[in-house]
Amino acid sequence: MKDPQKSLRRLSVAVLIVALLLPGALFAAETIKIGVLFPLTGGAASAGRELRAGAELAADIANNVMPDIKMAMARNAGIKSLGGAKITLIFKDHEGNPTLGADLAKKLILDDKVHGLMGAYHSAVTKAVSGVAEQYGVPLINDSSTSPDLTRQGYKWFWRATPHDNYFTKDLFEFLKGMTEGKVKGLAAVPKKDIMNLAAACEKTEWGSAVAELIEKFAKEYRFDVKRSILYGAKATDLSSEVRSLIAVKPDAMLFASYGSDSILMMKTLKDQRAQPKILWGQNAGFEVPEFVNTLGDTTIGVLTRTVFMPKVSQVKPVAAKVNALYKAKTGNDLSGASARAFTGLQVWVHVLEKAGSLKPADIQKAANSIEIAGEELVVPWQGIKFATTGEDIGQNILGSGLIGQYQKGPSGKIDLEIVYPFALATSNMIYPFPKF
Amino acid sequence: MDILFASIVSGVLIGMVLALVALGLTIIFGVMDIVNFAHGEFLMVGMYTGLLTAQATGMDPLFALPVAAAVGFALGILCYAGFIKFLLRGPMIAQLLGTFGLMLVLRNLALLFFGSEDRALHHGLLVGKSFDVGMGVILSATKLATAVLSILSFGAVWLLINRTRIGKALTATALNRQGARYMGIPTERMNMLAWGIGGATVTIAGALIVNFWSVTPYVGLIFTMIAFTVVALGGFGSVPGAFFAGLVVGLIMEIPGFWDFLQLTFRIGWMADVPMISFKYTWIYVAYFVIMLISPRGLFGWKQ
Repeated sequence: MKDPQKSLRRLSVAVLIVALLLPGALFAAETIKIGVLFPLTGGAASAGRELRAGAELAADIANNVMPDIKMAMARNAGIKSLGGAKITLIFKDHEGNPTLGADLAKKLILDDKVHGLMGAYHSAVTKAVSGVAEQYGVPLINDSSTSPDLTRQGYKWFWRATPHDNYFTKDLFEFLKGMTEGKVKGLAAVPKKDIMNLAAACEKTEWGSAVAELIEKFAKEYRFDVKRSILYGAKATDLSSEVRSLIAVKPDAMLFASYGSDSILMMKTLKDQRAQPKILWGQNAGFEVPEFVNTLGDTTIGVLTRTVFMPKVSQVKPVAAKVNALYKAKTGNDLSGASARAFTGLQVWVHVLEKAGSLKPADIQKAANSIEIAGEELVVPWQGIKFATTGEDIGQNILGSGLIGQYQKGPSGKIDLEIVYPFALATSNMIYPFPKF
Repeated sequence: MDILFASIVSGVLIGMVLALVALGLTIIFGVMDIVNFAHGEFLMVGMYTGLLTAQATGMDPLFALPVAAAVGFALGILCYAGFIKFLLRGPMIAQLLGTFGLMLVLRNLALLFFGSEDRALHHGLLVGKSFDVGMGVILSATKLATAVLSILSFGAVWLLINRTRIGKALTATALNRQGARYMGIPTERMNMLAWGIGGATVTIAGALIVNFWSVTPYVGLIFTMIAFTVVALGGFGSVPGAFFAGLVVGLIMEIPGFWDFLQLTFRIGWMADVPMISFKYTWIYVAYFVIMLISPRGLFGWKQ
């Protein structure tokens, strides 16, 4: 005779298995899986948290009806053309490591069977991940990696929503030129010889070294003099010899491309070594994460950073104000260039899926190549989103643009970014020269 | 000219810090012939101890030094009594792999408890302070304090080894363990003491370094490598050797500064295009390689 207890146990195991499988089988068609690769730990972890929160917020808005947000994706719950399918984000932490990023992308594609990818912040990681996406024919929409080379690989499965560093670095030199022409709000024309000498320190992976090259290139074009250009390791624990090397050439402007903790270390070392630049500019990333101001406080007053978003944008864009309020409720911080772009990146995914009306890679590819998103939809102050399908930059959004902000202390005593470029959007008088440390 | 002075001074200061980092490694090697691969991880523990004590109590990070020393001493003894002691019975390779394993364990424990994020001290009596002493030399208060403490620690360890009975017992153990045991020296306890002192000096160094360097669980490796170079140059087991070698390695790290000096003084165009700074640590490894090639025993090495 059978042991009744044993058969009962068997039965319950069988029930359990069926119960576990059932929802999967029932709802499998109704979720869209996007694999998202961000640096959630490591030196850029604070940016990673921002990026993650930005993407999550966009997914929330896409998956629910939120009538008070004037965005197409807030009108429906889920993707309408896919029968209201909801978006699920699967986050992976690449720690800023390209090899790990590529491995995780493979895992997402092969094990998690994601329908698409997003990420990966660090240009070096994005490059590795884009190679994997290309190999497997899985669409990758990039939100915030700015090395120009990424869209110059001729890939068919890679699209980039953010403007790249060619745009941003040109903005910087347009800004410097504007300074000499008296176009900056609250500042008389500065003689060119006063801001002629530049020194740059960029981190030495894909992104920073590309920025260093662009600075040299545009300096030539705009006739500025790069006296010193150094590449340093973002994981360095000590930057004093780097800073001494910069100070030695007595630069008028110091330009930086730093990722995370290195930007804070750089500022502390500059202060320690009593650097006296007239202009201090950062290529966003480490210069605009909340930690930068939270840690350094008043030292940041007068620092310039390029970005694509700052809370002041909310004053001119009501939709940005709404989203910013939601973001602030979720995280306690305002949207930044990082989180706003992660938000926008996922928004692009929503629009592409809506347009594709299918989860077949070929349909998604076709939709991405022909998508046009109006500027009013976006939180970032761009004309819109439209990807290039020909020319030098394949898959690059051609309607993006950048801002340059300056940290200033408001009447409430809080340090915020004020817009100083484009000159027409300027929200405050520029502080010049940079206050002594 | 300014950059020359600044680089020399900075090299000497950093050199003293590096010497302090290497002190523990050379003591342990001197007494026991064990190369401790986990040395950098001990330093990392010291950094976290300094950081967390300062943050938890709100005290100045300088007051965390005794805590770090106690933690380091205890950690050294614990590692010896709970692990290294048993390795001594095995062949040399087991000892090497054993301390290598210890390194991985400590690093991953740090990852588990503290996460992989960079952490740094932003407040403290010395943090962010610096003095302009003229001629382009700017002394950072934290580095100066670390250098002074490095000299004090070296003095204390030198006195301990050369002027006390315990020191004589340590030296005897180092020279001839069996002979020392016949003379009634408790060699087992001497070994333990060497690990304790070694651990304490390096965690003190860590608690000081965290005043100006940020810490992650991975920070140990670079310091292990530098400490190896210092010890190899100074001679394995030599305390004064470690001090002078520290200074030399500190100056080697400033090679990019000297390069800048030459380039700016003599206005040599092509020199500006050489990315010396990107290879700042490379010179240390080059030096290590050269030392091993020319004089495997180092400057002051006395052990066969």
